[in-house]
Amino acid sequence: MRISRVIACFAPGAGAGPAAVARLARDMQAELVGLFLQDETLLRFAALPFAAEVGFASAATRALDSATLERALRSQAAALERALAAVLDPAALAWSFRVARTSPASAVEAALAEGYAPALLIPPRGSLRAERSVVRAPQLNPEVLRELLAAARPVLILPA
Amino acid sequence: MEAAAPAPRHALSPAELRRRCDPARLAFATTAELEGLDDAPGQARATQALEFGVGMQREGYNLFAMGPEGYGRHTLVLQRLAAQALDRAVPADWCYVFNFKSPHRPRALRLPAGEAPAFTAAMARLVEDLSAAIAAAFETDEYRNRHQQIHAELEERHERAINEIGEKARAQGIALVRTPSGFGFGPFNKKGDAVMEPEEFAQLPAADQKRYEEHVSQLQKETADVLHQMPRWRREALDRMRSLDREVTRTAVVSLIEELKAGYAALPDVQEYLEQVKEDTLEHAGAFRQKKDGEPPTLFGIPIAAPEAIEAPLRRYAVNVLIEHSGKRGAPVVYEDHPTHAALLGRIEHLSQMGALVTDFTLIRAGALHRANGGYLVLDALTVLTQPYAWEALKRALRGRVVDVRTLGQELGIISTVSLEPEPVPLDVKVVLVGERRLYYLLHAWDPDFAELFKVTVDFEEDMPRGPGDDERYARLIAGCVRREKLRSLDRAACARVIEQQARDAGDAHKLSVRVQALVDLLREADYWAGVAGRDVIGEPEVRRAIEAQIARSDRLRGRMQEHIVRGSLLVDTTGSRVGQANGLAVVQLGDFAFGTPHRITARVRLGAGRVVDIERESELGGPVHSKGVMILSGYLSGRYVLSKPLSLAASLVFEQSYGGVEGDSASSAELYALLSALAGAPLSQSLAVTGSVNQHGDIQAVGGVNEKIEGFFDLCASRNLTGEQGVLIPQANVKNLMLREDVVAAVEQGKFAVYAVASVDEGIELLTGVPAAELHRRVEARLAEFAERAREFVAAAGKRPWRPDRKK
Repeated sequence: MRISRVIACFAPGAGAGPAAVARLARDMQAELVGLFLQDETLLRFAALPFAAEVGFASAATRALDSATLERALRSQAAALERALAAVLDPAALAWSFRVARTSPASAVEAALAEGYAPALLIPPRGSLRAERSVVRAPQLNPEVLRELLAAARPVLILPA
Repeated sequence: MEAAAPAPRHALSPAELRRRCDPARLAFATTAELEGLDDAPGQARATQALEFGVGMQREGYNLFAMGPEGYGRHTLVLQRLAAQALDRAVPADWCYVFNFKSPHRPRALRLPAGEAPAFTAAMARLVEDLSAAIAAAFETDEYRNRHQQIHAELEERHERAINEIGEKARAQGIALVRTPSGFGFGPFNKKGDAVMEPEEFAQLPAADQKRYEEHVSQLQKETADVLHQMPRWRREALDRMRSLDREVTRTAVVSLIEELKAGYAALPDVQEYLEQVKEDTLEHAGAFRQKKDGEPPTLFGIPIAAPEAIEAPLRRYAVNVLIEHSGKRGAPVVYEDHPTHAALLGRIEHLSQMGALVTDFTLIRAGALHRANGGYLVLDALTVLTQPYAWEALKRALRGRVVDVRTLGQELGIISTVSLEPEPVPLDVKVVLVGERRLYYLLHAWDPDFAELFKVTVDFEEDMPRGPGDDERYARLIAGCVRREKLRSLDRAACARVIEQQARDAGDAHKLSVRVQALVDLLREADYWAGVAGRDVIGEPEVRRAIEAQIARSDRLRGRMQEHIVRGSLLVDTTGSRVGQANGLAVVQLGDFAFGTPHRITARVRLGAGRVVDIERESELGGPVHSKGVMILSGYLSGRYVLSKPLSLAASLVFEQSYGGVEGDSASSAELYALLSALAGAPLSQSLAVTGSVNQHGDIQAVGGVNEKIEGFFDLCASRNLTGEQGVLIPQANVKNLMLREDVVAAVEQGKFAVYAVASVDEGIELLTGVPAAELHRRVEARLAEFAERAREFVAAAGKRPWRPDRKK
């Protein structure tokens, strides 16, 4: 069975490397839909007066405001898009990249609604090496989708 | 009065003028019937010295083969060394390999003769096998699972630590938020499903806001603590992965390397090296797993050379065969004709990479000392001495008994970049320097190391005796040359003619020149003329033509000088007689060609203070030996005449029309004859020319170039037509040197020319003046007595001492 689409979700500061995802799509000769999920929670958090982040690499605490966060998200989105293009453009494969500011489940649901099953869904914190779970398209509802997106396993979505 | 007593004549017979080689005594038709000579004729001393030097296996017993060019020094040395080398063992092979402990000091590995290529191939195969085995080991499920397990454990550990903080935060009503670069904390809303809106937070009581902020601050601190732990966890995981890699690699590697080690059980150095290879392989297993293929690297889109040369990770396991002797027999005999510093010691090559010059142990190249190690190295002394630093490098290698590959830049300290210092290779070589004698004596005098390092002198003779049977032996030497050069054979007459020419070359009727190069040249040229004449065998006419052609190519100057004399530009009489004037003879050497030419020598006398003035010396045209000869004349006169009175003579002697300087004393007898003639008033025959030096007792002494001198005067006389009165006076001691041209000998046979051998001034003066010696001496005595008396009278009149010499201020 040939997978025709790869829906790769990216979240700020998490998820599989975009290059690895793009190479996977290229090797499978599948269309790639990159979804950069900018959770509303994150934006609300940045608006709090004492908002600050502890850097993953530096372990240093620094203040965070909405403008800084917006800049960081734009920068990360651009970097993701460049990384995907570097692999997929030379391979002449169809691909797209979207930034979603709704809930992750809604964004994925919208992408799945475009059809093209069977598809491979890669959650934001998914590991490409992890064993894939398999679901049928009709089984997908928002609750199931939220659970799948919270897990680290890629999901193979098959037609009905 | 002069013709009253017939002069005692000492004319030589034709047989004394040229010692012929009778073809009838040569027992062969052509040289094709003769065996070549096994030994080098006339070089017994050199051969014995060579055998001693080669056999003497002690430090410093290197050889210096000395003698002029063209006497077969190289041929004899190389022949003897080649023969000796066959009896010696083939020396070991040497390789350079990577030094795992000190990479800039490549390690020298010694292997039995001929085994280096096999070792190189074995190492190449080992690398291939290791690549396959290691790659396969890392592809196994076991490895992959264990690797993933370590990775997953690390991720889980990270996630668990973060989750624990998240849970703790949740318990305090605070949400953990992942930001693009880290983590943040914010209070949950009332529903507890999302971060509180800023407006909602603003409506909270100040105490609650403060409490949230304190909790968040504490959580941030705890998160930072966890994040500080993460690198250590990652390092621990990496250590576990490395251990896993070593474990897997060891399993794949050990058996392969142990198998190779077993093949070199007798070579501890190789075993040690392979053990180091094993350890290094465990550390660098990743190098064996790298893909060889791939897109070439680019710089700004421009393809650049792949780093195959130096940076290729597996290159460190290569073997650089410095010298190998597979398929060889005996010890090596190496002749290095361009012994530069690098050609002797070897060199370290470099590759250009990205504009920088880089090198490694595989780029070390052998020098002549490496190639000759365990055998013999032949070098031209002059060439070694003229190559910058080559002589010092050679001496250092011989003294230290190691070959240390160092570039000149390193030695002189002018290159400060990092380079290699290869481990020196032990040296056991016998060096034979080939050079001229003056070089040997110069080195002996000025280089204190020379005598220590080159204890054996191989002195080459320039001629060999021409005793009974030696002509036949020489014919075998000719036959060997003919065969080696692939020339036409010589018939007996041609062979005899060549032998006579070699005696002439030796300048002695009783010796034969062993200047092999000249002999071979003559044979080649005779062969050429035989080809021109369409002959299958070289005959006497071809040899003669070759000799004549050689002379004709070189004697332009001789012809011009003779032309000047014949046309009267240079004044030399060949008939008549004249007081105070004699024909002297000089030899001109131009390159390989020498010829004789006559010179007019004149003497004038008058009353004076007892000095014989050498005008050549006064004008700084005379050399010291010539001046010495003239001074001897004063001694002869002082000791021979008017012993009871002061010598009151002023005489001057000159080589007329000599513009280029005079050296040697071979004209001193002619000068004395001119002086005696002037004093006695006895004219000297101008149809005779004279050569020979004289001592204070009036003995005539041997000189050089006697054949050329006689022929020079003969050619002049012949050009003016021979009268039968003409001839040359030579020292009796030079008769043995006569090997005159055949036309001269023929003229003597026909009575048209003569060669006289004289042993004393008395014999010579009688021949030249026709006056008995006693009568001539009486006249000289009377003249000098008259000078003395007149001097006494003159001084008495002037009131001065007569014989006080002029003092220079």
